Amino acid sequence: MTWLRRLRSSIRSVVHRRDFEQQMNDELRFHIESYVEDLVRGGMPREQAVRQARIEFGALEAKKEDCRSSVGLRLWEELRSDVRYSVRLFRKSPGFAVVAITTLALGIGANTAIFSLIDAVMLRLLPVQKPQELYTLMVDEEPRHWINDTFTNTLWESLRDRQDVFSSMLAWNGPEEFDLAQGGAVQNVGGLFVSGGYFTTLGIAPAAGRLFSAADDQRGCAPLAVLSYGFWQSHFGGAPSAIGSSVSLRGHPFQIIGVVPSRFHGIAVGKDFDIAIPLCASAPFDARNLDSRGRWWLAVIGRLKPGIAFDQLKARLEVLSKPVMTDGMPPDNPAEQRHFLATKLVAVPVSQGPSHLRENFGRPLTILMLMVALVLLIACANITSLMLAKNTMRAKEIAIRKALGATRPRIVRQLVTESVLLSLLGAGIGVFFARWGSAVIVRNLSTGRDPVFVDVSLNARVLAFTAAAAVLTGIVMGVLPAMRSSGIALIEAMKANDAAGGGLPSRFKLGRWIVAGQVALSLVLLIGGGLLVRTFVKLLQTDFGFDPHHVLVVSAKRPWWAGDDAKIPAEQRTVVYNEIAERLRQLPGVTSVSRSFTEPMGDDNWGDGIQPDTASHTLPDQIWFNFVTPEYFATMRTPVFAGRNFSNDDTRASPPVAVISESLARRMFAGVNPIGRRLRRSDYHGPQAWLTIVGVVKDSKYLNVQEETQLIVFAPVAQAFEGVEADDFELRTAVAPETLISPALVTVEKVSPGLSLTFRTIAERVDDDLAQQRLMATLAGFFGGLALVLAMIGLYGVISYTVTQRKVEFGIRMALGAQPDSILRLVMRDVALVLAIGILAGLVVSLASVRILQQMLFGLAARDPITIVVSAALLTATALVAGYLPARRASRVNPLAALRYE
Amino acid sequence: MLILKAISLGPLHGYGVLLRIQQISGERLKIEQGSLYPALYRLEAQGWIAGDWGESENNRRAKYYRLTAAGKKRLEAETTKWNEMADVIAGILAAARGQA
Repeated sequence: MTWLRRLRSSIRSVVHRRDFEQQMNDELRFHIESYVEDLVRGGMPREQAVRQARIEFGALEAKKEDCRSSVGLRLWEELRSDVRYSVRLFRKSPGFAVVAITTLALGIGANTAIFSLIDAVMLRLLPVQKPQELYTLMVDEEPRHWINDTFTNTLWESLRDRQDVFSSMLAWNGPEEFDLAQGGAVQNVGGLFVSGGYFTTLGIAPAAGRLFSAADDQRGCAPLAVLSYGFWQSHFGGAPSAIGSSVSLRGHPFQIIGVVPSRFHGIAVGKDFDIAIPLCASAPFDARNLDSRGRWWLAVIGRLKPGIAFDQLKARLEVLSKPVMTDGMPPDNPAEQRHFLATKLVAVPVSQGPSHLRENFGRPLTILMLMVALVLLIACANITSLMLAKNTMRAKEIAIRKALGATRPRIVRQLVTESVLLSLLGAGIGVFFARWGSAVIVRNLSTGRDPVFVDVSLNARVLAFTAAAAVLTGIVMGVLPAMRSSGIALIEAMKANDAAGGGLPSRFKLGRWIVAGQVALSLVLLIGGGLLVRTFVKLLQTDFGFDPHHVLVVSAKRPWWAGDDAKIPAEQRTVVYNEIAERLRQLPGVTSVSRSFTEPMGDDNWGDGIQPDTASHTLPDQIWFNFVTPEYFATMRTPVFAGRNFSNDDTRASPPVAVISESLARRMFAGVNPIGRRLRRSDYHGPQAWLTIVGVVKDSKYLNVQEETQLIVFAPVAQAFEGVEADDFELRTAVAPETLISPALVTVEKVSPGLSLTFRTIAERVDDDLAQQRLMATLAGFFGGLALVLAMIGLYGVISYTVTQRKVEFGIRMALGAQPDSILRLVMRDVALVLAIGILAGLVVSLASVRILQQMLFGLAARDPITIVVSAALLTATALVAGYLPARRASRVNPLAALRYE
Repeated sequence: MLILKAISLGPLHGYGVLLRIQQISGERLKIEQGSLYPALYRLEAQGWIAGDWGESENNRRAKYYRLTAAGKKRLEAETTKWNEMADVIAGILAAARGQA
């Protein structure tokens, strides 16, 4: 490790330069004086002794330089002079410097932007105290190993009180939407339910006021609230008076007691919150939250006591499982109790926080990172070619340096310093571009339903990445030209005439290989981008099974934790809703109105197993259910293919009926007419009543746009199961649906004032659902296009350069009778060769690697031939144009002018 | 190696190293003055000697160097290597005719 020590001493001498110089002077002076003293003592006269000592010591400055060099100062001096020289060179050719720095700024900036996203989503630890000690608790129901990551309140309290392996624990639920408004259009803010130990377990100290403690989370507690820093600023202007004031959540008042620090956004990565309330305060909304043994809603995290190993934790949890589950099981349901007793507690480290963002975006982000790295590579190749060309002009300068004694490594070091400096300058600018870029990407990842919050501010890791990328880029860019230029033979360079620009023999095959590489890489990016763009287009054009345009959804749905809405007592609900529907239908611009449990791409879904009345079937475990009024299919414009629609005669008293989607009919009855056949639902409690199939409708999307199979059972609202509320109204409109929001609000208020409503259009939902694909398509398409442009610039540059170099040769050919056409063909042959090699290499790489995209595609195979052919054709066409321009210039060479040049 | 050995016998300033080497070689070895200090600085940078400022015999400020623990190890290693090499060469040179 002596080089490390030498590096350290070198840095130390640089930092304490003046001290070093002072000490060195003192030491050397002492030495000479001592010698002089000795000589004088031996009888020599002082003057002569001084002269003798000086001569024997040698040239002082030269020795001092040796000392500096042995301490490592020379390196630093040389670096400084290299940088100064590079800056001077850039000033002399500002065009090159600007182009290079801009290209690098964009390239490195794009890389930094994507990396800061990857850092925030996949690498960063939670901003809490010692996140490595945190474990998330889950239940594993053996033997089926259904893992559930939530607990009931009873289980949570039992676990918290019985355990002895965690120094503290927390439970939470969120983000949920808390309505600040008191009736009318909903004004949602992000909310969290947290246990008393939440903040203390995480080690969060308040930014203002105080945070919850265990005492705040007892039954019958006062309703308190803690604000996030952002919400405090935006809603209260950061005023200290906010603490102690009251805020209304779903009509219940809560007293604000404190604010969390600005860097804390909750535990779930990608989510933020505005208000946190204690678990006990959820009781006023719905007492079942705290007491129901069937309501699983709390995520639990514990901080492991120091000194306990993971295996010990596992073992202890196994032992604790039985007592905890026994505490929490429902007292009067033996079947349930058996399930409970078969369940074990397990723990998983959670230092990065639970993140659905990581699952959803991990792969796309990695792919984006690859793409953007390839773009940077292509851009670097352009700059390398430029540098190669420029360095031929410097052959004389380098030859002189070599004659003066510069070693090859020294020259290479100086040339590489130039390119690293370019990179660092580009990276400095690129960082600003990256902040903007990553903010734009995050904004586009957010959807109305699912806002994404990612803190993409620069941190040490991102900056380190940028610096490393810049240095690496600089070295990669500069090494090739440096090696080339420093290998110049002295005599040749000095002899060369200026005509060929400083005289390196202009074979420059290297440049053509570089361009071939660029062509290959840009083909890979074009194919990748093309696949993602086509996926998005296919998603847009897919048949939804209904008409998604011009449908407004008015939802009176209450959150699951909000309990019974006292505003409309259960018995009157059907009557009130029917009246609302009737009034809404009478609004001008509304063509038809229906009511349902959920709408396509809605917030709710209901899945259960079903059993047809045949002996065997090959149905999946879960089929979707929806409960609709008879107007639903007409409102959504989903055609009824066979049998009949629901009618008002299908009531609670009449036989239970169902309408199924065509795919389901096919799966259940394989060609036999399903009308009149029966099916029954089977859930956790066992099989339920038989339903008679009366109609078949077209397949329609249920959950999202990408789903391939749609197996749906529709049942009338009047015959809905226990616990189903159909409180979504669909309005088919003749005008823009958004214009009907306030008329609808006014109408509903007249019937039932104080009802909380949310409004959205189906078209919005579709947009939201496709946000990720749209983002990927946009970015990938952009990168593919960018790669193409960069590669073409490279191609143009290289061919242009070779044409200039071969001007004399062309002149001679034409003088000897060659037609301009044949010169053209000569140059184009070069272009074609480069293109052919590049496309071949690109195809091989693409076919080998494109499989990683498969999961993100829709309706396309990864090796889709159309995309590949079109990409290759596009590349060929642009390459031929890029090569044609200089070729045409070559064929227009005036032989006299060319020959006279020499 | 010679510098390390000189210093190992007791802390010295640069001039003192020169004198001591001359002395213990019985005036047979004279070190070129100019190359002494670059060597000292290099050895210090590598961590084998450490320098502290102190007062010389005639009360002037001078930088004294002492051997560090790493330096002691290095000296032993180098000495062993040198002795081995001397052995080998001696063996070759002592080869009598007919032993080839």
